[in-house]
Amino acid sequence: MTTLLQLNHVSKHYGNDTKALSDVNFSVKEGEFVSIIGPSGAGKSTLLRCINRMVDANSGEIIFDNVDIAGLGKKDLKKARTKIGMIFQHYNLVNRLSVIENVLHGRLGFKSTLAGALGLYTEEEKRQALQILGVLGLQEQIYKRSDQLSGGQKQRVGIARALIQNPKMLLCDEPIASLDPNASKIIMDHLKNISASMGITVLVNLHQVEVALKYSDRIIGVNKGSLIFDGPPNEITAEIIEAIYGSEAGDLMFDLGGQYAG
Amino acid sequence: MGVDQSVKTVSADSINSFHLNEKKRIKVKPFNKASLIIQLTIISLVLVTIYTFISFDYSDINLFEGIISTFQNVKIMFLEPHFKHFSFVTALYQVMITLGLAFLTTLFGALIALFLGFFAARNLSSKPVSAAIKGFVAVIRSVPTVLWVLIFAVAAGLGSVAAVIGMTFHTVGYLIKAYSESFEELDEGVIEALKASGANWWQIIFQAVIPSSMTYIISWTFLRFEVNFAVAVAMGAAAGAGGIGFDMFMASGFYFDLREVGVITYFVLAFAIALELIATKVKTNLKTSA
Ligand SMILES: Nc1ncnc2c1ncn2[C@@H]1O[C@H](COP(=O)(O)OP(=O)(O)OP(=O)(O)O)[C@@H](O)[C@H]1O
Ligand SMILES: [Mg+2]
Repeated sequence: MTTLLQLNHVSKHYGNDTKALSDVNFSVKEGEFVSIIGPSGAGKSTLLRCINRMVDANSGEIIFDNVDIAGLGKKDLKKARTKIGMIFQHYNLVNRLSVIENVLHGRLGFKSTLAGALGLYTEEEKRQALQILGVLGLQEQIYKRSDQLSGGQKQRVGIARALIQNPKMLLCDEPIASLDPNASKIIMDHLKNISASMGITVLVNLHQVEVALKYSDRIIGVNKGSLIFDGPPNEITAEIIEAIYGSEAGDLMFDLGGQYAG
Repeated sequence: MGVDQSVKTVSADSINSFHLNEKKRIKVKPFNKASLIIQLTIISLVLVTIYTFISFDYSDINLFEGIISTFQNVKIMFLEPHFKHFSFVTALYQVMITLGLAFLTTLFGALIALFLGFFAARNLSSKPVSAAIKGFVAVIRSVPTVLWVLIFAVAAGLGSVAAVIGMTFHTVGYLIKAYSESFEELDEGVIEALKASGANWWQIIFQAVIPSSMTYIISWTFLRFEVNFAVAVAMGAAAGAGGIGFDMFMASGFYFDLREVGVITYFVLAFAIALELIATKVKTNLKTSA
């Protein structure tokens, strides 16, 4: 497998004293499912957003698909972003629009300004939207307004919007943090399935260690902006959890997560 | 165990501090400069009002008679309305002109304001551009519509042209503020999501900002339309812009015909109510439709 994403010495600080990321290095292979775990404020969201430049890193290289994202101009950056889908904790759908309109938003980056602004999509694009919605089990909700959906359904629309970009990679910022266990499982199963069957690389921020252990090919542990751990789930020990989350938390979380480990 | 102990210490501490403050009255609102200024303003307004009422010169007017004859005039106006100097059809035609003036100025104003509103919204524009537009617009709004019409009348002469330009001007100022504040309410995450998928600024405006703020846009525009209708009536009288306002001015100031003034008032009222009903209908339709 080839390397899809490579971060070299990436640092980011907000203002003068908030250090969000310091000298982060890691690489992700094509089709890999990688979870990023760490306590609140560790810099997980910042890390994901540096990759598609929603946040500009202060220094370092971000090489995605053989291009240094950090050095791209406006136009090339938009083109690069079409290859990266993003999924959010709060779904970030346009509430007043229908499910299929929200899904088709994933195609805007491929269209002319005018066609995109007016929402003129090709039949091929609409057909693909229906097909993806079918895979995600949303065929009954196509014309529903998106604010009438449940959280789990909204997140699936979010996934559909990312998938219709035909992306090489998905960035998921706490995709299940607002969902109940059942809906969480459905979303995680879909993400795992996407990575396995479509060969799309998935990079996901998680708060639940046990979920990360169960689904990931690899786990990256972040604390105070630095990488603490980078390896497969079966190498995670109570000590490592403690190093990532701080003392005491390790015992508690490992009790939960232990049953999946190894 | 460690956790238990710390909980106990905290609660003991807070009980102690409550004992300390027992004798003082507990304030719910913190005292600050802003509330002091508000209180001083209210007190001085009350004092000024009282002073004005005391210093009125009533010497030539018998208050009681004055009230009686006012009531009589109102009675004549509203209970005995009739047409004399023009017909029902003319009145209808004149209301249409007034309505047209209101519609035109609202439409022009809304289009310009929508466009500039995107640049005035902090989340869609840059800080200096947003601040510049908002500052400029605040100046426009602080001068009343009627004054703008009179200012433009210097160049265009009193009449419909000055009225259209002046009313549009103030409408733009008003709607830019209303629209841009609705845009700023938009969830930052939605913009982020579209940006992350490679969408450009205009696409985000049309695909996310406008659909999300549609109800606000419609509400504010209708509200301004109602305001403009009232202003258009006044402009007919004050700035020679024509329409029903001018007829009202003639009926009251020229013919002294209270009954005709009554008819016209009913006309204007009927149209205002109709506008309100239509606006409500459109808004509810918009809210329930997908
Ligand atoms: N826009 C911003 N401006 C200033 N500081 C920020 C900004 N965004 C994040 N930070 C700071 O950067 C640090 C990392 O934040 P980040 O949101 O990346 O953490 P996180 O790991 O995603 O946390 P959580 O798990 O709570 O989402 C925090 O200290 C945060 O306060
Ligand atoms: Mg976060």
